[in-house]
Amino acid sequence: MRRINYPLIAAAALLAAAPAAAQEQPPAPSALRPYQVPRVEDFRLANGLRVVVVPQPALPIVHGRILVNAGSIYEPLEKNGLASLTGQLLDEGIQGMTGAEIAARIEQLGAQMGTGAGYAGGTAQVTSLKSVFPEALELAARTVTQPTFPEGEFTRVRNEALAGAVQRRSRVEGLAAEAFSQALFAPTAPYSRQAAGTPESLQAITREDVVAWHRRMYAPGNATLLLVGDVTAQEARQWAQRVLGGWSAPAPQLPAVSNPVQAHSGTRIILVDRPGSVQSGVAAGQAAIAQNDPDYYALDALTQVLGGGFQARINTNLRERHGYTYGAFAGFNPLLGVGTLSINSAVRTNATDSALVEIVSEYRRLAAEPVPEAELRGGLANIVGSFPSSVQTVQGLAGRMERVLMYGLPLDYWASYRERQSAVTPADLTAVAGRRLTPNALTIVVAGDLSKIEAPIRARNLGTVEVWDASGKKIR
Amino acid sequence: MLPCALPAQRTGEAIRIDYVEETLPNGLKVIYHVDRSTPVAAVDIWYNVGSKHEQQGRTGFAHLFEHMMFKGSKNVADGQHFALLEDAGARAGSDINGTTSWDRTNYFEQLPSNQLELALWLESDRMGTLVETLTQEKLDNQREVVKNERRQSVDNQPYGTWLEKTLGHAYPEGHPYHHSVIGSMEDLSAATVDDVKNFFRTYYAPNNAVLVVAGDIDVNQAKQLVRKHFGDIARGPAAPPLRDMTLPATLGGARREVVQDANAPVPAVFITYRVPNARDRRATAVDLLAAAIGQGRSSPLYERLVREQQIATGVSAFNFGLVDGADLLIVNAQGKPGASADSLEKAVIAELDRVAASITQAHLDRVKASGRFQLVNTLQVTGGFGGRADLLAQAWTYYRDPNWVNTQLADIDRVTLADLRALAAERLVPTNRVTLVYVPARAPQAGAQPSAPGQ
Repeated sequence: MRRINYPLIAAAALLAAAPAAAQEQPPAPSALRPYQVPRVEDFRLANGLRVVVVPQPALPIVHGRILVNAGSIYEPLEKNGLASLTGQLLDEGIQGMTGAEIAARIEQLGAQMGTGAGYAGGTAQVTSLKSVFPEALELAARTVTQPTFPEGEFTRVRNEALAGAVQRRSRVEGLAAEAFSQALFAPTAPYSRQAAGTPESLQAITREDVVAWHRRMYAPGNATLLLVGDVTAQEARQWAQRVLGGWSAPAPQLPAVSNPVQAHSGTRIILVDRPGSVQSGVAAGQAAIAQNDPDYYALDALTQVLGGGFQARINTNLRERHGYTYGAFAGFNPLLGVGTLSINSAVRTNATDSALVEIVSEYRRLAAEPVPEAELRGGLANIVGSFPSSVQTVQGLAGRMERVLMYGLPLDYWASYRERQSAVTPADLTAVAGRRLTPNALTIVVAGDLSKIEAPIRARNLGTVEVWDASGKKIR
Repeated sequence: MLPCALPAQRTGEAIRIDYVEETLPNGLKVIYHVDRSTPVAAVDIWYNVGSKHEQQGRTGFAHLFEHMMFKGSKNVADGQHFALLEDAGARAGSDINGTTSWDRTNYFEQLPSNQLELALWLESDRMGTLVETLTQEKLDNQREVVKNERRQSVDNQPYGTWLEKTLGHAYPEGHPYHHSVIGSMEDLSAATVDDVKNFFRTYYAPNNAVLVVAGDIDVNQAKQLVRKHFGDIARGPAAPPLRDMTLPATLGGARREVVQDANAPVPAVFITYRVPNARDRRATAVDLLAAAIGQGRSSPLYERLVREQQIATGVSAFNFGLVDGADLLIVNAQGKPGASADSLEKAVIAELDRVAASITQAHLDRVKASGRFQLVNTLQVTGGFGGRADLLAQAWTYYRDPNWVNTQLADIDRVTLADLRALAAERLVPTNRVTLVYVPARAPQAGAQPSAPGQ
């Protein structure tokens, strides 16, 4: 890895941020010791399974992740929740072991294991001390290759998923997030739905659906084993061959996925009632881009300025200046082929309309006014400077690597990532803001006590106002 | 130095976190720990003050004060604490934060190791000069933020009141653990600028704190920096003694409350027992008992209530680790949608009543294995929540012994099934039990404000 001149970047930011009235100046940084991202090894077993290894032997811990392209974006529209339910059921029974026996054995090893599925993939994850890792990995592998989906466990886990969906809608944050996806994407788009499914959709899924989904999607040619931590490439090859080398299944033809965005002119406000709420959950933003889009770095920097930290514009405004909230942040969530950009907060009920005015105004300012150089430098220094601590854990490093695999990015992506991110200029921000931000066509979802917030929000004239129920049906 | 020498076997080996300790002439305790596996350094200060030190009528004050520590000091303008650290490469929340509990308040920074001095300077400036720039406006602003924090974590959440209700029942009126850390809206409203000044002078002195400097550091250099920035801060008066916090071992009678909760979608129960505190010789047995009862999917509570009876969709069991008087062991179960709160309560209690008999060596072996793994898992991070720096600061604040972190594995190994059964038989009894039953209630009529209580 080439050395990056962090101290200069940081020094510029400190200088610009130094308070005028201060008597003492903050100490300057010393020379930075470079951080080297571990080298990544990559190979395939004869059955087509890809194995990616990231050796990081600081502690005797290993993390393994079996990733299968079997997420909810590939599931049939009328079976929302099928991929997720299948993922949750993987460790509820394998040939020769009940779910209870798997759980007991994993805990006996002192390992942590979990299975599930999100938008992109079905996953079995396992972390343990190195000495027991081969056995823990073997159990994780068997949940992927030979699950039995017992009838009784199917019914129980589906009921738990239903309860989870009900719980999600009992919180304003959950209500706002669910409606935001539904409002942003067209009803045919997988990203308009929750990967976990809804109370309505989960009812329609049968055990036969789960068995068929697993048979169709889970195959070595459609999967990757990611190993991170105290492991060498040679050990990885042995372990992978032993626990997954005998896995045989035809790889599926992955369906083409399309996520059209709902077209709307002007800002659209959607209200969801939660009577008695003392705070309103707010999600406000727009559709954005994927991580492999050339505009990714500039849009990520722009999001950092808007709401990537405590000092960012939206938290400074809503929390520190106005006291409307405990915290407000912006998130840029790159997905496959598309992404989302949103400001999220929980704001005091009687300040909800005022908070929306501030959110829209910060969004417009970001689009209309060039970001000052010092503010950009500070934001970049934060993204880049915090990278080493974010990958101190095997779990954190694996999370980064999963993004690389999901997007088909080069395996040395993170080794040179900080250089590319640091190269963003104010001119790049202006260009990307012009290309990507839609400050006059935002989607804003507010979940709260409509008897108190609806009239004041309408009076602000920020856009068209609709009222939805918790499942996303328009009421008025 | 720790990293490469750590043994990987499953049982028994010594895991060592090496450290160097010193006490400055002003009484500040400092602990240094070197780990150069990544160019990351951590600064972590624990002040020996928490909500148990609060005065009557000022619940929530220790935490409100913690917020004031981020509002600037003599050389740091309002807003600059986070701004300087974020621009230096630390993330708000996970790397830069302050937290308040019953027993202590902490402040930490985790950042690229070449920025170590910045973190030390910021901590020293607020330890030395916080009240010089204090204003009514800053206090009013953070009072609103903290009220929002209370709304977000308590008043607007399903089951959000469980903690303050549990504390209210488990500790007698007037006991320092009787109220929650977040406090009541009424008491937050009553706090004054003078309260902030007095609290600062009473508790925020170098002789009432421990400073941990960890990670990619050179100890001699770090010592020089610490002397440069903290050496001139004046020693404060000794903090006033705590009220007597001793309590009878058990509650001496069952307590039960049914809560109609407009935010709750399904019934839930919270069952609490008084247990030995974190300084008691049985503390590790308490941790392991909580884990054995209801952590993980092979625990008896999960197996019986979630897997077999399917009356609950989730269970958990944990203890807080409070250090004075008595700690609490808490069991939570969420019912499935439409389930009766009454049958959920009966089912959970039936299981807890037979735990002393039903818990096995296999259960204990599993939670010991998990405990050993968790310790190494935690050691992956230098600072932030629960990393190496936090462990060392906790070791000093609660046990006056940094080496406490190095005795954890042996403590786990020593606990026997007989210890767990004896503890369960003595403490998991009806006369030592607080039961909260949450029943989903229809939302209040428009216009009716749900209560934001604090008693």
